Amino acid sequence: MLARIMRVALFTTCLAEALAPRALKATVLVLEHVGVRPELPAAQTCCGQPMLSNGLPADAAALARRMCEVFAPFDAVVTPSGSCCSVVREKYEALFAHGSADHKAVVALAAKTFELIEFLETQLKIDPSSLRGKSTPSAAPLTCHDACHLRGIHRHGATAPFLTRACCGDVRELPDMAQCCGFGGMFSTQFPEVSTALGEEKLAHVASTGAATLVASDTGCAAHLAGLAHRKGVALRVISPAEALAESLGLLVELPESHA
Amino acid sequence: MNELIAPKLPFDMKPRAREAVRDLKLQQFVGNATHLKDTQRGGIFGRDFGPDYDDLRTVARDTKQYALDHLDELLERFIENAEKSGAKVHAATTGREACEIALEIARAHNAQGRAMSCVKSKSMVTEEIGLLPAFEAAGITTLETDLGEFILQIDGDAPSHIVTPMIHKDRVATAKSFVRELGARYTEDPTELTMIAREHMRGLYRAADIGVSGANFLLADEGAAVICTNEGNFDLSVGGPPVHIVFVGIEKLIRGARDLAPFLKLLARSGTAQPLTVYTSFVRGPRRAGEHGGPKEVHFVLVDAGRVGVLASEKRDLLRCIRCGACLNACPVYRKVGGHSYGSMYAGPIGAVLTPELERAQGNADAGLANYADLPRASSLCGACYEACPVKIDIPKFLMHDRARLRERGLSPKSEGHTLKLWRWLAERPVMFRLAIRAVRLHARMLGQREKTADGERGWLKSAPGPGAGWTQSRDLGIATGESFRDWFANRENNTSGGGR
Repeated sequence: MLARIMRVALFTTCLAEALAPRALKATVLVLEHVGVRPELPAAQTCCGQPMLSNGLPADAAALARRMCEVFAPFDAVVTPSGSCCSVVREKYEALFAHGSADHKAVVALAAKTFELIEFLETQLKIDPSSLRGKSTPSAAPLTCHDACHLRGIHRHGATAPFLTRACCGDVRELPDMAQCCGFGGMFSTQFPEVSTALGEEKLAHVASTGAATLVASDTGCAAHLAGLAHRKGVALRVISPAEALAESLGLLVELPESHA
Repeated sequence: MNELIAPKLPFDMKPRAREAVRDLKLQQFVGNATHLKDTQRGGIFGRDFGPDYDDLRTVARDTKQYALDHLDELLERFIENAEKSGAKVHAATTGREACEIALEIARAHNAQGRAMSCVKSKSMVTEEIGLLPAFEAAGITTLETDLGEFILQIDGDAPSHIVTPMIHKDRVATAKSFVRELGARYTEDPTELTMIAREHMRGLYRAADIGVSGANFLLADEGAAVICTNEGNFDLSVGGPPVHIVFVGIEKLIRGARDLAPFLKLLARSGTAQPLTVYTSFVRGPRRAGEHGGPKEVHFVLVDAGRVGVLASEKRDLLRCIRCGACLNACPVYRKVGGHSYGSMYAGPIGAVLTPELERAQGNADAGLANYADLPRASSLCGACYEACPVKIDIPKFLMHDRARLRERGLSPKSEGHTLKLWRWLAERPVMFRLAIRAVRLHARMLGQREKTADGERGWLKSAPGPGAGWTQSRDLGIATGESFRDWFANRENNTSGGGR
């Protein structure tokens, strides 16, 4: 793909706009670093995942149609959220009758939508080792938890190796990474005790690595784990893969996370 | 039936889940065992099949699906072939009918009306139809011969896992039960404990009037049932008593031995990370002339109990399930809440989608879902179950399907529905949507505990209204309160217009 002439849209996701604007800034900075200038379609809102996961498929379908319209002019759609990406990629199709115009539109959207690290690796074919920053990479150890929904796009477990090769400092293996962090969208409020118990287990694994920074590849998981750590008074910086890359490339200044 | 797996309906999962999360022993036993089995499962498939594992699953999925699509034909063929071997085949539409058939068989062997005894090997369908309580009421004493099931039986406990029924217990509990119930001396040594159970059981096998088992597969071509065990208890239960009854769900049918290999490869590896179960037994007809062992009568009770309904529904894929338990071991929620939280003999992800369809939970259409409304919601939709399933049942898809059914029938919390409807309304109006996000950020700036962080600035909310309350009971909600992404992007565009950075 010719990165310089294709039109790339940034799919921000509503959760990231509210909770994690720095992840979005980092996504823009990293894309620009590799020669892609993403555009920001102003009309984008929500992909419909909350409705889809909570028994309102018709409402999700309405938002899927919107997504198709909003991103129609673009060659590629890139998002830092693995979860929202997987909704577009693997869930939209089932919402529409096979052969319908809507079905064709969501298939076309699915074919051009990518999670950021996936986009860098599989579409732009960027060798992560070429992403070594001008500044000295952070010496502080990191560990990385992939969003479960990356399973749906066959990218579960792909983030940490990429970050390691991209020289994001000392990336430590997270024990039992395959187990869900317990976020699960509204599950986190429907079964708060179970969600919290899973989050606490994840935090214990993070602590066992000795890393004070956790890279979480979805805004929801990040908010859940950061919120849990904050309530407990545990010093933990939770950032997105985009931020880890941007920091290592010297595109974003790393600020220490203060805690309660 | 045991209240743990046959609770009063409608069933409320939440209190059991809350209690389980606080139960340190359960957390330790279930957490350790499921993690271990899940890791071992990944290991053995990787070693033995490598990249071909997915092809094997595809073959198994398609083979089982073929059988389900041709169930009528296979049933006929099975019945014909089983009867040729001298077995008697019975069809039961309901669980009650299945129990009635068994009681009828028992009565035919008991003209004197004496007390009878039964030795039973492990079977999920007998749990489903409530066979033991029915036998008990008729004066038939049943011995569970699977070691795990035996321990649960003497403890008045119930299975909490399809394959490892006493996953929630340990050796110490077993040792105490054996002292109390069997008068054994106290030992925590697994071999000694097994020997105690063995000595207790051996004589009972010989004295029993009836042997009962389930089946893992039914072979239409051969008219035979295949039973996979690790303890050899099935072979004893079929070898001793004069009568053997196999209870089996109709979805266990496959074409025949020609289709069996992929399932044997997958079942033991998925369930317990063994290349094959220790015993793979075949049962066809009764003892033939000149044979010294085996029952004089073999009965197959083919159980529907809701399965035909599932076959006709959108959830028909569920009937491919081979009860390996891999999805339970892989499930983060099962690991935390244990099996009894599901209020069913089928726990975990497959239980969450299957239980509402079981006959016992039904009254009229969708009553099962109303009775078990929490189950489809008790999942983070992480997809680990789908990844672990050897016959590729897309369990998350069916959880979402049931969530939609719940919502349509007004069985989900109304406030949550209103929030989602409002969300959608806003999402179709970009200006309003951005204002709403701005309002949330403003709320956090005014009321949150503000901190300078990696995001520039963050407001931490300690309590939130509505559905947010569930969040803030254990977590803070951190909302970015500094410059919005859109403002940042717009400012940069203005400053750098003309291209370049």
